[in-house]
Order: sequence, then structure tokens, then C-alpha cells
Amino acid sequence: MAKSLGIFVTTKDCMPHVLGVTQAAKSKGAKVKVFFTWIATHLTQHPDFKKVCEIADDVSICVDSYRKQGFDPQVIPDGLTEKKMATQAQHGIIIEDFDCYLSL
Amino acid sequence: MGEYKKVCLMYRHPDYAIDGIRSALGLAVENMYAYGVVMDTTLPAFDDNTVESIEMLRDMEGDILSTVSANCDTNGLTPITLEELGEKLREMTHIVPYGIK
Amino acid sequence: MKILNVYRTEPDATVNKLVEIVTRDREADSFNLYDGAPDYDKLVDKIFAADQTICWW
Repeated sequence: MAKSLGIFVTTKDCMPHVLGVTQAAKSKGAKVKVFFTWIATHLTQHPDFKKVCEIADDVSICVDSYRKQGFDPQVIPDGLTEKKMATQAQHGIIIEDFDCYLSL
Repeated sequence: MGEYKKVCLMYRHPDYAIDGIRSALGLAVENMYAYGVVMDTTLPAFDDNTVESIEMLRDMEGDILSTVSANCDTNGLTPITLEELGEKLREMTHIVPYGIK
Repeated sequence: MKILNVYRTEPDATVNKLVEIVTRDREADSFNLYDGAPDYDKLVDKIFAADQTICWW
């Protein structure tokens, strides 16, 4: 069975890596979860953000970071639902439940 | 997977350190051993929220350390050398170079 | 224990020192994200083959 991969994103210039790794892992049948926090919540505005949401099994962001970075928490980025405007617990899930871990 | 996870986050850029400390606390409340290490940068005195976060983290057997002695003096971070950090990382299940350098 | 070191930028002395200690007496592999277009397929193969991946600054 393919391994699962969790990606923890803390930087804002890494969207090509997030997309590239997600696509490659999915093509190998892996389960992929991505969590964006702090300055990386700016990537919700990136043209490829929705694509990552469509390809990965689960994508969420830290809503507290999103607010602190100047975004309105009521405005849900394309590709996410209200439930995916989440907390650091999502990082905990990646560490606890996924076979492999990548921070970007 | 009965063993508790051990996670070390490392912050080299001042813009990422405070949030990185919060992130470490977030893992500690999920029942992990969480450590944060401030490197390369000297931070101003922490606000009450950050002080409280570090106290909570220490209560949960985590810690915030620094390789920069000024951070240990100003903010009470636990001193650690680069060599000691390397040895500590060997015990970790997850190593997170947080943000940018 | 097999460690994969992924480098987002060219490693400096601090990163090299930490990598040296973390990988001591352990099997290690590496992947550069900073030079040219990365082969993500190869990176994912390496991540899945490793026990632990560290993605350095």
C-alpha cells in the first residue's frame, strides 16, 4: 500500500514545491494532506492554491494565522470550506497519523 | 504507534519565531514532546501571550531554547549550543526548520 | 535509520554542522530544491524510502 504524506507549509515562496510534491505523491497512489500556517497563509491567494486543494486529499489552513496576516476569516479562499479554516491541531494530525512528513 | 512523538522546530528568522513558538505549543497540547529553538536572531522582550505560551509549553515537558545567549538573558530561553542541538535532533521523530533563514 | 536531507537553499555552515551530527552513523540521502527544476517524482521516491525527512531552510 502506498505511504501517506503530510506537508506542513510555513513559507510563502514554495508553491511550486507544494504543487509538484503533491502531484508526484498522488500519482504514486499516496494519501496527501497539506496544512498552511503563518506567512504561508498568503498562498491561499496563489493561482495554484485551488489546484492543490483539488489534487490533495485534504488541505487546511491556520485561520488564526490567516487573520493575523490581514485576511478576513469570513472570506474563505477558493478550494477550501469553512471546516478547513482550522487550527494547529491539523499539524498534529500530520505528525501523528501520516507515514511521511515534509516541511516547506 | 504507542510512543509519543518528539518534535523540534527551529527558527532562524525573527518574523517566524513568535508564531513558531505558538506552533510548538499547539503540538504539546496534542500530547507530543515539542521543542522550539531560536537561532541566529536576537528577539526583543516577549509580550505576555508569548511568555504564557512558553510557560504552558514547559509545564507540558516541552521547552524553548536558543543558541543566542541574548535570548536566554532577555527572555529566559534555555541555552543550547549548536553541537548540543545536533545531538538533541538525533532523538527527535520530527525535525522542522521553520520559515526561512 | 535512513535520513533524507532536503535543501531549500544552499546549506550554510550551521545546516552542514547539524546535518553532520544528525546523520552520524546513520544512512543518509539528500535532495536539492534550489538548483534548477526539481524532479518531484524523484523527491517523493526518496521521501518514501527514508525513515525521516528534514527539509532545511
